[in-house]
Amino acid sequence: MITETEKTLAAECLEYARKAGAQDCRITLTKSTEDLIATLDGEVDRVTRCADRSMNIALFVEGRYGAFSINKLERDTLRDFISRAVDTVRMLAPDEYRVLPAPERCCHTALTGRELDSYDEAYQEVSPEDRRRRALEAAVFGSGAPLPRNLELISEEGEYSDSEYDVYVIDSQGLECRHRETSFDYGVEVTVQDPKGNKYSDYWWTASSFLRGFDPSDCGMTAVRRAHAQFGARPARSGKYNMVIGVEVASRLVSPLLNALNAYSLQQGNSFLVGSVGKKLFSDKFTLLDEPHIKGESGSKLFDSEGVATEPSAIIAGGEVKRYFVNTYMAGKTGLQPTIEDAVRPYLPGTPGLDRNGLMQMCGNGILVTDFNGGNCNPATGDFSYGISGQLFQNGEIVRPVNEMLITGNFLPLWKNLIGAGSDVRRCAGKLIPSLAFCEVDFSG
Amino acid sequence: MKNNSEEVFGVTPEQLRTIVAEGLKGGDWCDLYFEQTVYNDMLLRDSSVASGGFHLDYGCGVRVLNGEKTGYAYSESTDIQSLLDAARAAGAVAGKPGSFKVGPSIPTATPPPYAMRQDWADADKKRLSEWLLKLETAIRSRCIYPSKIIALLSWSTSNILMYNSLDETTGDTRPLGSVSVTAIFSKDGRTEQRNVSRSYRCGLEMITDSLIDELASEAVKDLDDSFAASRPKGGRMPVVMAAGASGILLHEAMGHAFEADFNRKGQSIFSDRMGQRVCKSGISIIDDATIPGSRGSLLYDDEGVPGQKTYMVHDGILTSYLHDRICAAYYGVVPTGNGRRESFRYNPIPRMRTTYMESGSDGTLQDLIGSVRKGIYVDKFANGEVKIGEGDFTFYVNRGYLIENGRLTRPVKDVNIIGNGPRALADIEAVAGDLKIDDGTWTCGKEQSVAVSCGIPSVLINNLTVGGE
Repeated sequence: MITETEKTLAAECLEYARKAGAQDCRITLTKSTEDLIATLDGEVDRVTRCADRSMNIALFVEGRYGAFSINKLERDTLRDFISRAVDTVRMLAPDEYRVLPAPERCCHTALTGRELDSYDEAYQEVSPEDRRRRALEAAVFGSGAPLPRNLELISEEGEYSDSEYDVYVIDSQGLECRHRETSFDYGVEVTVQDPKGNKYSDYWWTASSFLRGFDPSDCGMTAVRRAHAQFGARPARSGKYNMVIGVEVASRLVSPLLNALNAYSLQQGNSFLVGSVGKKLFSDKFTLLDEPHIKGESGSKLFDSEGVATEPSAIIAGGEVKRYFVNTYMAGKTGLQPTIEDAVRPYLPGTPGLDRNGLMQMCGNGILVTDFNGGNCNPATGDFSYGISGQLFQNGEIVRPVNEMLITGNFLPLWKNLIGAGSDVRRCAGKLIPSLAFCEVDFSG
Repeated sequence: MKNNSEEVFGVTPEQLRTIVAEGLKGGDWCDLYFEQTVYNDMLLRDSSVASGGFHLDYGCGVRVLNGEKTGYAYSESTDIQSLLDAARAAGAVAGKPGSFKVGPSIPTATPPPYAMRQDWADADKKRLSEWLLKLETAIRSRCIYPSKIIALLSWSTSNILMYNSLDETTGDTRPLGSVSVTAIFSKDGRTEQRNVSRSYRCGLEMITDSLIDELASEAVKDLDDSFAASRPKGGRMPVVMAAGASGILLHEAMGHAFEADFNRKGQSIFSDRMGQRVCKSGISIIDDATIPGSRGSLLYDDEGVPGQKTYMVHDGILTSYLHDRICAAYYGVVPTGNGRRESFRYNPIPRMRTTYMESGSDGTLQDLIGSVRKGIYVDKFANGEVKIGEGDFTFYVNRGYLIENGRLTRPVKDVNIIGNGPRALADIEAVAGDLKIDDGTWTCGKEQSVAVSCGIPSVLINNLTVGGE
């Protein structure tokens, strides 16, 4: 993807910046290609070919900082662009904390971009005919696959894509690192109708870095089963319930914690986890790791956007908060120890062999959440309210679907009330969060 | 047009025809979308404007249609060979002939809904830094509580050139200026976050002292009430929504379901209700590209169709979906100018512009509140979400009050309101005569991000579910 000529051009841009008056500079060159086949009701509906490139330029000029980007990668255009960018930075206020990360914190092991085995050579061999075939084979519509008798499939939109991504980062302190990955993705959304004419929609998806591990064949039927499971949904009585949250949506409850542990939120006082490191705030059962070096999986990375080396670490262990995420700039501002800027691949380890069904058995009665619909978390207080749909269960067995309900509470007591975690993580997801079980959750509807 | 095609994008009219001819080998329609966008920003944080930059995005998208089927490719270079390659890639959609053909749009005499009286290219960045600092001072001067303030000023200018296989050439220069403020206030160990913003299709003339006053006043509005606010007891109850930003409910819960692609595919809950009554008489819902300076306004949509004002619901009757060229051809109607895209990297799809409900005749906001024995008044919503098929929606209430015996009493916050779009539409009990368009930085995220706006008069809706303790 990124050629030696383009790498040379990036190096020249460092020199243009220095000549224009910048003391330091970081160049991030990215290129990607993607081919996409969208289907509608079992037929090809859209064919898209994407090829992107971009150069991001971070400039440090006389104690000042600016960030710029351009996708016209011609030498004369870049020279003029960088010259104007340096002039712009000079008009901003000085900021002593805007510096490049210390070289010893940076990644020195990402030399070829393939160190994490996330690039599939088979990508180069995929033909337009292969793509069409994969997209069409995954469709349920018109395939003759048996559907539930009381269900009419109104619409099925599928999207197959394959892509490669290449990023190359250099800076004026000698940093040089690269990451390449491929991805094969399929997502589908179905709209179905019950005998009374009520419509229900649902989705499913899968992804893999490697073609050999990519199997979208059950996505359409999974989406149909999920939509069918919602037939006749109505709210349950408001009150406190055990909540099992399905693996497909469980990461929604982890993201606010990660946001609250980021130094940007801490520094602004916009975090409910200020001063939390070293404190046991959550359930013993709650451990959250960052596993950035899992080989062969999309999302793993040896360095962050500053070029700082990533490493496996505990974010929360046995309910105790272990770390913040503090980039170079925020470390200067807050006095906290600098780290990578954010979690790369969060992983919540649970009980081996346990999945959502096991968690429902464990809870006995409660509500299984299979989808969110809107809602929000107050980042300063941790108060949340989310719309949900799912299934009411009793004695570990599903009784009926529920919708138009809300869960309401605060993230601190919620995670204190974690009573179980499964081991059914989906490797295709960005965050490796399994099905989870909580007690004492407020539902209203 | 000559300036755009030759001077900005380096292509001649003859080359445009050559590229389109190449695309037409794969279908019955081909169009080109050239774009050069320069985006600038400056960020105030910790009382200093110490971060900023600019970003140049340049390229051309080529679309080939074969009936309703789409082939799309783009190039970040506008040399003729790259564009011909993109046209060939887009033409790969070729297959059996489609069941209908995309046709022309109807020119309208709509005047340009925006202009730059002062070009952003002439912006003095030191003056803009001072303006941001003045904005921060204005917020602090209105409030006794300690605060952290982040303010982002951004502006962009997009040069657009569109050409299609009907030999229609259209061009536009689209300005967009935005300022967003996040202020976090502290009081007795409690924190309260306020987000206020304004965004207009205009030039540097938007940077005024009166805009500072407007933003600063809104940032601290009823702050003591917000500190005192708590979650109410949940349940089903009438909800009065304030004029202006509550229009986001209209956008999410109803507007998306009126987009023609969802209806063409049978996914929308309104797909078989054209011409039917969907709410009480007297209520009209509009999507409009012609409001001067509005963030959602467009001289042309991204298929070269003139911007226009579209009644989706007129006097309670569903009268039109929002069409791009494909959907218009499918339904046999004229496109409504709703074919929009995030950038040259995306194919256009039906999208909203500025969506609002016309003023009603049911009195004032006070009249609406006075008619409710027990319910909720919502002053400000945050994000919302809707499921198109079912019509179920959820909206987060940033700020509101309990209504008890016709009067506002206890402040409430951090709750959701949930309901169903068609039912909520049918349950609109009263509409006040105080339509307000909200000029915040609304961005719609249906597959792609596009700038939109929304508005509504104060309305009373019976029987929504309010989540609470």
